[in-house]
Amino acid sequence: MHKRGISMAIVTAIVLAACGGGGEADQAGPITKVGDGEGTVVIVAWAGYIEDGTTDPAYDWVTGFEESTGCQVEVKTAGTSDEMVALMTESKDFDLVTASGDASLRLIAGGTVQEVNTDLIPSWNTVDSRLQEAPWHFVDGKHYGTPYQWGANVLMYNTDVFGTDAPTSWNVVFEETTLPDGASNAGRVQAYDGPIYVADAALYLKTARPDLGITDPYQLNEEQYQASLELLRAQRKLVGRYWHDAFVQIEDFTNEGVAASSSWPFQVNILAFDGQPIASTIPVEGATGWADTTMMHKDAPHPNCAYKWLDWSLNPALQGDLAAWFGSVPSVPSACDGNDLLGADGCKTNGIENFDQISFWKTPTEDCNGTGTDCVPYRRWVTDYLAVIGGR
Amino acid sequence: MSVAVEFNQVSKAFGTVKAADSVNLIIEDGEFFSMLGPSGSGKTTCLRLVAGFETPDSGHILLHGVDVSSLPPHARDVNTVFQDYALFPHMSVAENVEYGLKVKGVAPAERRTKVADALALVHLDSHAERRPSQLSGGQRQRVALARALINEPSVLLLDEPLGALDLKLRQTMQTELKNIQRQVGITFIFVTHDQEEALTMSDRIAVFNNGQIEQIGTPSEIYESPRNLFVAEFVGTSNVFDSGLAEQLLGSRDRFTVRPEKIRLGVAGECTVTGTITDLVYLGMYTRYRIDVQGIQLTVAEQNTESRLAMSSHAVGDEVQASWSKESCRLLA
Amino acid sequence: MPFREFSLIRRLSTYFYTRRRLRLALLLALPVGWLVVVYGGSLGSLLLNSFFRIDSFSGTIDRTPTLETWRQVFTDANMAVAGRTIGMATAVTIASVLIGFPLAYRIARFTSGRAKTALVLAVLIPLWSSYLVRVYAWKLLLASEGVAAWFFNVFGASSVLGWILSLPLIGGPSLSTSSLGQFLVFTYIWLPYMVLPMQAAVERLPESLLEASADLGASPATTFRRITWPLILPGVAAGSIFTFSLTLGDYIIPTIIGNSSPFIGLAIYSQQGVAGNLPLAAALAIIPVVVMGLYLTGARKLGAFEAL
Repeated sequence: MHKRGISMAIVTAIVLAACGGGGEADQAGPITKVGDGEGTVVIVAWAGYIEDGTTDPAYDWVTGFEESTGCQVEVKTAGTSDEMVALMTESKDFDLVTASGDASLRLIAGGTVQEVNTDLIPSWNTVDSRLQEAPWHFVDGKHYGTPYQWGANVLMYNTDVFGTDAPTSWNVVFEETTLPDGASNAGRVQAYDGPIYVADAALYLKTARPDLGITDPYQLNEEQYQASLELLRAQRKLVGRYWHDAFVQIEDFTNEGVAASSSWPFQVNILAFDGQPIASTIPVEGATGWADTTMMHKDAPHPNCAYKWLDWSLNPALQGDLAAWFGSVPSVPSACDGNDLLGADGCKTNGIENFDQISFWKTPTEDCNGTGTDCVPYRRWVTDYLAVIGGR
Repeated sequence: MSVAVEFNQVSKAFGTVKAADSVNLIIEDGEFFSMLGPSGSGKTTCLRLVAGFETPDSGHILLHGVDVSSLPPHARDVNTVFQDYALFPHMSVAENVEYGLKVKGVAPAERRTKVADALALVHLDSHAERRPSQLSGGQRQRVALARALINEPSVLLLDEPLGALDLKLRQTMQTELKNIQRQVGITFIFVTHDQEEALTMSDRIAVFNNGQIEQIGTPSEIYESPRNLFVAEFVGTSNVFDSGLAEQLLGSRDRFTVRPEKIRLGVAGECTVTGTITDLVYLGMYTRYRIDVQGIQLTVAEQNTESRLAMSSHAVGDEVQASWSKESCRLLA
Repeated sequence: MPFREFSLIRRLSTYFYTRRRLRLALLLALPVGWLVVVYGGSLGSLLLNSFFRIDSFSGTIDRTPTLETWRQVFTDANMAVAGRTIGMATAVTIASVLIGFPLAYRIARFTSGRAKTALVLAVLIPLWSSYLVRVYAWKLLLASEGVAAWFFNVFGASSVLGWILSLPLIGGPSLSTSSLGQFLVFTYIWLPYMVLPMQAAVERLPESLLEASADLGASPATTFRRITWPLILPGVAAGSIFTFSLTLGDYIIPTIIGNSSPFIGLAIYSQQGVAGNLPLAAALAIIPVVVMGLYLTGARKLGAFEAL
């Protein structure tokens, strides 16, 4: 009698659990007028993106917003794009998310974010013209968010190893070579452990193996994809550890004798500030990069406050302060001038001139982001890259 | 008679407590030797010193003339029956019994016969495949005995093995042990705090107190001729007469004792006193009286023979004479 | 009046006093209910999901039952992940027994009172500090310019370290990026969970049994082999459940120490979180469940559950 009862309970639980999940697409369009604020706005963001002065009083771009609009800002920090996608998909508590390019398309395709009416954002036209219709947030003629910050995955290297000449090619991390200090690079390089890194390999091959005909490192046919994997398998033998956490990488460059790796300006700044012999460069092949867009949930509970924030996020003072803090580049070019924290050369240091050399992250889809039919989808990137890291 | 075990000025202390204090002892081959004493008297320590579980701080222990003081237990030709039996719970009775042989590398066939013999000796033949947890206390004790004897040690040590058994079983086991010892002919060293047990089973007894041996002797020597007050009072009951009465009765000031059964009531004798009966208990074989003699308590035990029963009928409160022969007086050291 | 007037609570208490089964059922209702619905339901849902597959084109989950996802699990890459994880769990368990046993034995047999309390505390104190803090501390200790390397240098044995790091399976560019380093950290982290059950088992071993064995002619080694070891095996099995399962499921240490080769936890996280491939993640998650099921069956046979 007892056993039957328990089995019944388990079956019921299974059925209930399996039936859950799956959202429906919302076909309604964006709002046409921004009304009064609802009193709160909830944002999912990278750590460091939304500062209210508690970490460092000089870096505060939230208090001003709260005072002028009456919308209190609540932040939910996430560590990875995947966390952000999960949070936005599984909950209706969040209004906005600062999504990187490898998350944004997933959110759009999954119907989790809504189209944004740019007429309601007065500062829209101050956005860098190169970003206004970028493919990772502009789909089918619709805007799905406002650009926030962008940056490149630079080649960070140890100046003691490389001397005065910066490395000119990504080959120092992809192929076995002898570095200027006389020793091999085996065991002294790192690579990003996110599957999106396959694009970095493809980007390198775009120059190193023109016969493959790679144009967009995120849209790879089978042959191009396999070649990239081969390169990565060779790289596995050189890599000591794949990096995932910025601070772990900083430690590795300090204590493990790592000579070169792809990285973010954030780490470069911190290491240089600590007095470590570190510099960065963008090699001749170019670099992958990330451009974050603030997107709005399709069922945002506070749409008016959300629109107010979208506009506020383009405010040059905020953009400049954030760029200085994070080491990124503002999406509003005018923010580069007249910002004390950023300084006169801040934007240059952070790489504003590298825009054309950067292939920004976007999620590889089977339909080649709408332009074809036989690209390898991200799902396979995950499985195969995981296998590569595992030595297979 | 050769010497099985010899203690030569052996001392052992645990912290500040002297468990054995310059003990000298000789135990003969083939005898049933008991170490008797209250708890903490050092008897168990001395047993463990023979077994090898403790090493003496000073002095020597010799087994058949060989100094074994620094030998570990597994190298000595001595086996022990423990107070808690120490049967291996994860082995059957047969496996327990054959353990000593197995460890020495004896062949399986030979082991099987020896185990059968050992179990037959202790009357447990049918229990070979049982686990210790399935046996009663008495059965476990016999398994422990078989496990020890199978190794044919030159000396068998028994550490209060009958303590956990009920009275009837204990008495049966006492006789059985004594018979087995005679049958096998091995030296038994038996530790107990029960003086009656010691008297029943032993060829000789050593009485321990505070780490020292008070007296060694045969049971009758110990009982009939206790050397000092401790032995007199520990073994059996004693009536102690100190200097005052001693002088009165014997003419000298030396203390002496008289055993209760040596005293007779209602008649005069070589030593006579008068007193009042304060207690009277009928104990089947004998009747025990407590008599108050000038403030001293006298214990008298009179055997309940037909003649005595017919003769006297004392009651509590009666004034009565008590007497005994001079011979029954034992001077104490 | 022969009976006192009882309050409601007393009457309830009396009611339940005689109805033991009812009392037990009510007491267990909440935890068992939680166990069945939340835990059992989640596992069941996981199992169910592993029989779905992800649609190649749209990226959504196709809910028609199929074995295709399971076929993916048995590929070389995924089997390597499982093998790596199980191998590490086994190695860590064995090492924990080897290191933990002398410690547990010493604490149980040869210390008492204050000294014993101090030693047990010393074993337990690491558990009071944050897991992450300890792992990061080890990362620093094992770095190629860290304390461990410095130690080798001081004794002029840096070539020995170099040789160790050049060994095929366990080596790497530095201790911190090698499987050996990972193994050391795992063993350190889970050691208290092995020491305590073993210590309890040794303490339950009566001294007289060991004396009896010696008395019957067994050398200390034989006594250990025939008496001590079989009797403390349940305690060892109980401790090994902890070290094995904790290593099997850990996905944090491999991301901080080691050469990034994925363990089962990381593989599941990647498939579920990064790729949205829930069926494959579910299928991979079933692997540790099955492995632990087998392990626990074995441990139960050895008496681990009584020892716990």
